[in-house]
Amino acid sequence: MASAANANLNAVRETMDVLLEISRLLNTGLDMESLSICVRLCEQGINPEALSAVIKELRKASETLKASENSTN
Amino acid sequence: MAHWTAFEKETERETKRLIGCLSGVEDEEDQNFQLALKFAWSNFRFHRFLDVDSHKVQRSINGIYEKLMVQSDVSKAESWMSLTEEFLNSPLPNTDGAKTDAHYSLVSLLLFLSDSPSNTNFTERPRIKEAEAKDNFDWARYLMEGEDIDDGPYPDTPEWSEESEDEDSQQPISREDSGIQLDRTPQDDQDNNNKTVPVTWTVGEPGARAWLEQNVVTPYWVAHAPRFPHSLHLHSNLLNVWDQHLYNTDPLYLPEEKAFVTETQVIRETLWLLSGVKKHFIFQHHDGKVIVRNNVVVTHLTSNCLRSVLEHIAVYGQAVFRLQRFIDEVTGYSSEPCPPSSGSSHGGTKKASEPPFRTYQAFVWALNKYFTSFKEELTTIEREIICNDETVTLSAVLERLHPHLVQIKVLHKVFCTGVAEVPHETPNVVRASHLLNILYKAIIEYDSVGEASEQAVALLFSLWTETVRPYLEIVDEWIFYGHLFDPAKEFIIQRNKDVPVNHRDFWYATYTLYSVSETVDSEEKLSDAASGSSGGDPGSGSKQLTMVSFLKPVLKQIIMAGKSMQLLKNLDRKDREPAEKSCRDAERKSLYALFLESVQSRLCSQEDSPAEGVTEQQATRRSLIRMQSIIKQHLQIEDVHDPLLAINFARLYLEQSDFHERFSGGDFIVDRSSQAVTCQTFELTLRSCLYPHIQRRYIECCGNLMQTLKKDYRLLEYLQAMRNYFLLEAGDTMYDFYTSIFEKVQEKESWQQLSFLNVQLQEAVGQRYPEDSSRLSIFLENIDPARKKHPVNNLEVLTLSYKVPWPVDIVISSECQKIYNQVFLLLLQIKWAKYSLDTLRFSDFTDVTKKQEGAACEEPAQLHHDPDSAQHGSGVQHQVQEAKDLDQLIKIHYRYLATIHDRCLLREKVSFVKEAIMKVLNLVLIFSDRWQAGFGAWKIESIDKMESDFKNCHMFLVTILNKAVCRGSFPHLESLALSLMAGFEQC
Repeated sequence: MASAANANLNAVRETMDVLLEISRLLNTGLDMESLSICVRLCEQGINPEALSAVIKELRKASETLKASENSTN
Repeated sequence: MAHWTAFEKETERETKRLIGCLSGVEDEEDQNFQLALKFAWSNFRFHRFLDVDSHKVQRSINGIYEKLMVQSDVSKAESWMSLTEEFLNSPLPNTDGAKTDAHYSLVSLLLFLSDSPSNTNFTERPRIKEAEAKDNFDWARYLMEGEDIDDGPYPDTPEWSEESEDEDSQQPISREDSGIQLDRTPQDDQDNNNKTVPVTWTVGEPGARAWLEQNVVTPYWVAHAPRFPHSLHLHSNLLNVWDQHLYNTDPLYLPEEKAFVTETQVIRETLWLLSGVKKHFIFQHHDGKVIVRNNVVVTHLTSNCLRSVLEHIAVYGQAVFRLQRFIDEVTGYSSEPCPPSSGSSHGGTKKASEPPFRTYQAFVWALNKYFTSFKEELTTIEREIICNDETVTLSAVLERLHPHLVQIKVLHKVFCTGVAEVPHETPNVVRASHLLNILYKAIIEYDSVGEASEQAVALLFSLWTETVRPYLEIVDEWIFYGHLFDPAKEFIIQRNKDVPVNHRDFWYATYTLYSVSETVDSEEKLSDAASGSSGGDPGSGSKQLTMVSFLKPVLKQIIMAGKSMQLLKNLDRKDREPAEKSCRDAERKSLYALFLESVQSRLCSQEDSPAEGVTEQQATRRSLIRMQSIIKQHLQIEDVHDPLLAINFARLYLEQSDFHERFSGGDFIVDRSSQAVTCQTFELTLRSCLYPHIQRRYIECCGNLMQTLKKDYRLLEYLQAMRNYFLLEAGDTMYDFYTSIFEKVQEKESWQQLSFLNVQLQEAVGQRYPEDSSRLSIFLENIDPARKKHPVNNLEVLTLSYKVPWPVDIVISSECQKIYNQVFLLLLQIKWAKYSLDTLRFSDFTDVTKKQEGAACEEPAQLHHDPDSAQHGSGVQHQVQEAKDLDQLIKIHYRYLATIHDRCLLREKVSFVKEAIMKVLNLVLIFSDRWQAGFGAWKIESIDKMESDFKNCHMFLVTILNKAVCRGSFPHLESLALSLMAGFEQC
């Protein structure tokens, strides 16, 4: 059992590595953590286009927030 | 949302994580977070996008491949194809099968998010298949990006990649793999396009940080920091090799997220930590403790190895931090607002109204001095790192700092035991003496180790000399000016404010000595009941000795000198002009200065001491060694007042004395432990450098006081007056006084009138000693009716009083007067009996009565003689003249009084003898009374009874006294015993 689970774990780990490589190639700016969140969300059936829109918006918003914080400081 | 399914909950949790990850806002209650969550939810639920079309995605994949091929980016195109193919056929965590919707969703998501893939600099990282560990390092990428590294810090770096430099320079700074270099040297900058960037950045400007990151240092402290390039040599990648090994051997091994730093960064943070900086990346402060961040690694060491080194450093860092915090607390300087709980943990922070605790201040000053030099050393090392002229490794730095680290350890140990472990509510006096004791003990302890801890002893000695300064200043102020200035109540002796100097209790009740050790004699324990309970309870806190050890040998002298000085200041001294005094004060050196000078001169002059019993050859050799060392020392240290120099000289002296002993003493000396020698040396240093100054001052002060009391306050004359009146030495005067009373008694008139008695006393004294007539007075006291039954006790109502002026009443206290009075009453009773017999006329009576009278007469005469003999025998006059200090004088006087008291049989133990004598005296009085009443009133039975009573008493006295005399208990009663014996035989 343990070895099967372990093999599966390794396979998934590898998949994630491959996905990260693709992400890097496409210059998406996602790191391993956010990528794994995205994987889980997509597996749950979230529409990728909607997800990408959310990610882009969030990035934009947080940048604006940081900029405003910097200027107030 | 109770009806939510587990699925939705799961989705929401992931969404939250995503928001946290992307925006950095961790607080879920944050308004922005909530807004973002709402936004995400609404987008996820209510969107107008079509579902993922696998064909469309596949078309996009192919399109990108073509595009890359068109751009001749073959490797990228190949990678792209192989990666997507591989991904689509790989399993997903929660989805079974390949090329599912989820796979295509993910690819399409990445495609939506992609940002000009053709412009990116991508190299596929080799991945190890199956059981092989994932390689944390993208070797190829570093190979290719190595262009912007010159041979500067990493000369080992092998071939560079073919990538063009232009591409590199075009990269946005925020890119994950922007390849910003660490520790860019000026040479590096010259090769770089960025060299033209002017250093005109402003704090807070968004671009400024980026500029700093690019040109000064990689922000390794932020999460997902870009890696720095480094050599590919095996030695530089030990961590990876080890990780690989772990990955291969342990199936459950999961590589953690790691923060890569360079050794230079570790060294730098170490230096900062040791210099007291509080915010670090590698070392973290948590509840006053310094801990090492878990995931910090350097490429050429395994994490365990690095961790053990860093933890070793963290211990010292924590010591520095604690010491620094203590310094800040005591100085009142705090770089950041401390929470109230930790703020006054050592009692260092005080309200502005509280007087400063000078001992701690002095200790902090000494610590601060040390830290200044230590920080200089740290700065030097840091400067060397910046210069980059030579290789600086962590172990080399630690090696270099080793002596300092040892010293910090010593300091921290002393601090912990001497300061930190003292309970918060401890009074200052205990804190101060405890700290000084700990330092003192530590010196002796480390000294006993010998050469190994020479540095530690030098440091501790300098610390001790600094810390002891307030104490010596307090002593100085006290014994030179009679003013015990100790606002923070840190000195072991404290003044009781409620006793004025010109009070008779001054000498006894003014000062409270705290922390009296068991070895101190009770006579030195000055605390009276009231003041003792007010705070001097040293035993309750800790059982150990809290008395300041170094002052113990001279404590008595200090107390004597201090009290004498204060007394002297308050006496009107006629012999000294104020101008002269102030002139002397100006020239005077403080005790502390004298102490330092003595230490200096003692240690320097050791070389001049004659070497007894050493052969000439040895002497030459010794002096050679000495001279060499001395010259070396002088060259090294310019400042001759440096205590470090002093201790070095002490050590030098020690060496020589060992040397000397070894040659002159033979084997037995070698057996002696070095501890005895060294401890002795430290104590000897104190003995020769500190104690003589105090001793000298003690002699001077107390001598002055004695002189003043004797000359200006006529102490001896008052003592004589006491003897004159109480011990009836002024025979004529007192005769006039008591005969007038006895006459009254015989005439059966009332004599117990205060006015009559006082007039008689004044008349008698006024004739010969007019100056004393105003001081002497007599009082009547009600006595116990039970004791009144005998006529001889009638006299006991009298109390003679002599008004002794201040400050002589310190010596002749009211307690003394009570004893004097007891003796006086006894003498008066004897005088009365004698007077009664003297006034009888025996011409017509029988032999028996005569004999009785004769025997009875002898007794008072003998007894009367006793006080005189006591007085002359003891040579009290001489002793009083010789007395060094007031305490001694008081003691001599007390001893004298005790002797007289003893010889007059007034002690409780021999009261039965006194009772017998009183009975005889009583018989005499009754006999005389009856006689006066007339012979006719006598009955033969009563005469017989009296005779038998007398005989009994006589017998008893003879037996007792004979025994006692034989034993040698009452040598002064020998003559009385003999005469009684003779009288008894006559009967």
